[in-house]
Amino acid sequence: MIYGLKRVIKYVLGTDIAGRNLAVFPDDTFIVSYPRSGNTWTRFLVANLVYPDQAVTFANIEQLIPDSEAMSSRYVKRIPRPRIIKSHQYFDPRYGKIIYIVRDPRDVALSYYDFARKYRQIENDYPLTSFASDFVAGRLSSSDWGTWGENVASWLYTRGSQPQFLLLRYEDMLRDTEAELGKISRLLGMEATPERLRTAIERSSAERMRRLEADQGDQWVSTKNKRSDIPFVRTASSGLWKEKLPASSALEIESAWGPLMRELGYSLTTNRGEYGTAVESPELVKEHR
Amino acid sequence: MFSRLIGGSKMLLGLHKPRRSLKIWPDDIFLVSFPKSGNTWTRFLIANLVFPDAPVGFKNIHKLVPDPYGTSKRDMERMARPRIIKSHECFEPRYPRVMYIVRDPRDVVISQYHYHRKCKKIEDGYPMEKFVDRFVAGDTCPHGSWGENVGTWLTARHNDPRFLLLKYEDMVADTQRELGRVAAFVGIKADSERIAKAVERSSADRMRKLERAQADECGLTKDSRKDLSFVRAAKSGSWQKDLSEPLVAKIEDAWPQLMVFLGYKLVTRETAGQPAEFSSLVSSGV
Repeated sequence: MIYGLKRVIKYVLGTDIAGRNLAVFPDDTFIVSYPRSGNTWTRFLVANLVYPDQAVTFANIEQLIPDSEAMSSRYVKRIPRPRIIKSHQYFDPRYGKIIYIVRDPRDVALSYYDFARKYRQIENDYPLTSFASDFVAGRLSSSDWGTWGENVASWLYTRGSQPQFLLLRYEDMLRDTEAELGKISRLLGMEATPERLRTAIERSSAERMRRLEADQGDQWVSTKNKRSDIPFVRTASSGLWKEKLPASSALEIESAWGPLMRELGYSLTTNRGEYGTAVESPELVKEHR
Repeated sequence: MFSRLIGGSKMLLGLHKPRRSLKIWPDDIFLVSFPKSGNTWTRFLIANLVFPDAPVGFKNIHKLVPDPYGTSKRDMERMARPRIIKSHECFEPRYPRVMYIVRDPRDVVISQYHYHRKCKKIEDGYPMEKFVDRFVAGDTCPHGSWGENVGTWLTARHNDPRFLLLKYEDMVADTQRELGRVAAFVGIKADSERIAKAVERSSADRMRKLERAQADECGLTKDSRKDLSFVRAAKSGSWQKDLSEPLVAKIEDAWPQLMVFLGYKLVTRETAGQPAEFSSLVSSGV
């Protein structure tokens, strides 16, 4: 009876993490992704777009676009509506309007590896190849959100072609941030001038975010008490896996999720016949509800 | 705050329903389906198979095959392991092993319509057309649409050794054989006699009798209309006479590939292209 006391007190005070138990309102918009897929950058972009008169920083981002995976249910409940909420959840039928960011899983694995070291989830010298295997098999501490493939597919399959669901590729956001942020502004029902878009982009640049992290890393819920020698804001680049990820790990990722990766336009290093039959299923993602 | 205090006291005693906060153990097995797809019947089948000496009924089913939305946390934690747990959730990566029951959505919608009448969620004369629209839009229960519920599970787990797909129609046609598959999946060595006995004890007739006697002692039926029964026809294919063609078409247009993939023949439209192939979309590394 006593062992649950701490949880009970948290519940009574409303300080339990919102997470999967988040109370959802019909006018909520969600920024959803698997971890390490550009979610924090997108939060800054959106916050700078929606609140142009505020200086968006790590010290106030939770008030503007709260992280339902890090903040308490009471905290998220008190955010003025309509809310924009960050989430890493796999498909949740209650979510209405959704910005879903997807990133090449080979880059995600690499980014996650640094993140896991920063969070002291793994030792500094834990082999990258072992980490990639854990990533594929769902043995990471985040496996409650599903594997990369499960998380992505659960959303694509159900909501992939609905107007309230905006699929963005991190790689496209890097290449043409303005165009992609324009799509977000339209989903939010905003008429954003190119100038306003550009200002938001400038204010969310990797360089600026790195500076903010250096200054405020100890104030932000996601970087507080973590290793400060490894940055949260990393390279902000795509395709690094070609250099840094062992070929065997890339292969492991591709053989787990090859068809899904291809459907998302991530070309595979392998072209083995076993994928040949499975690729022709774009309809699968299109069919929804 | 005040409601949280009451909730908190209940939590302290473990009397609350754990719902989405259910603590999952690695040896848990889940019995999952969209609502009105034969879940309760299968719970009875399993309970009668696993606990052949227990008087399985509506008043104790939540302690034998528990429901995180209907069974208290304390009862969930006091159960013998491995637990077999009922659920209606869409894909849940945390569930270690899953038996998933699927049923023809054209029958599901009829069953759900009557269930909503029984629960006083809709009036007797509620237009079926309106209900079908809501059904297709995923607006008749909090567990996604039929397609979302079935599709997320198949996308993530089809052909995975941790996943057993059961069709309600197969279960009606050959209960003995399908319960045998369940027994093998759950890891129970059951001879055909034990299986036959469980089937008999879970017959629709017997369940109807139990429902009449115990309706007030079961969360599934308490506070609902007593003139309509929870255990209904226990048949498949009644949509062919109870559902008008335009309504059949609405359902078939919503999920053509998924229905064809599951062997539910479309009658109002051509099959669109290839049937969906789920096994290849997401395979886990396990």
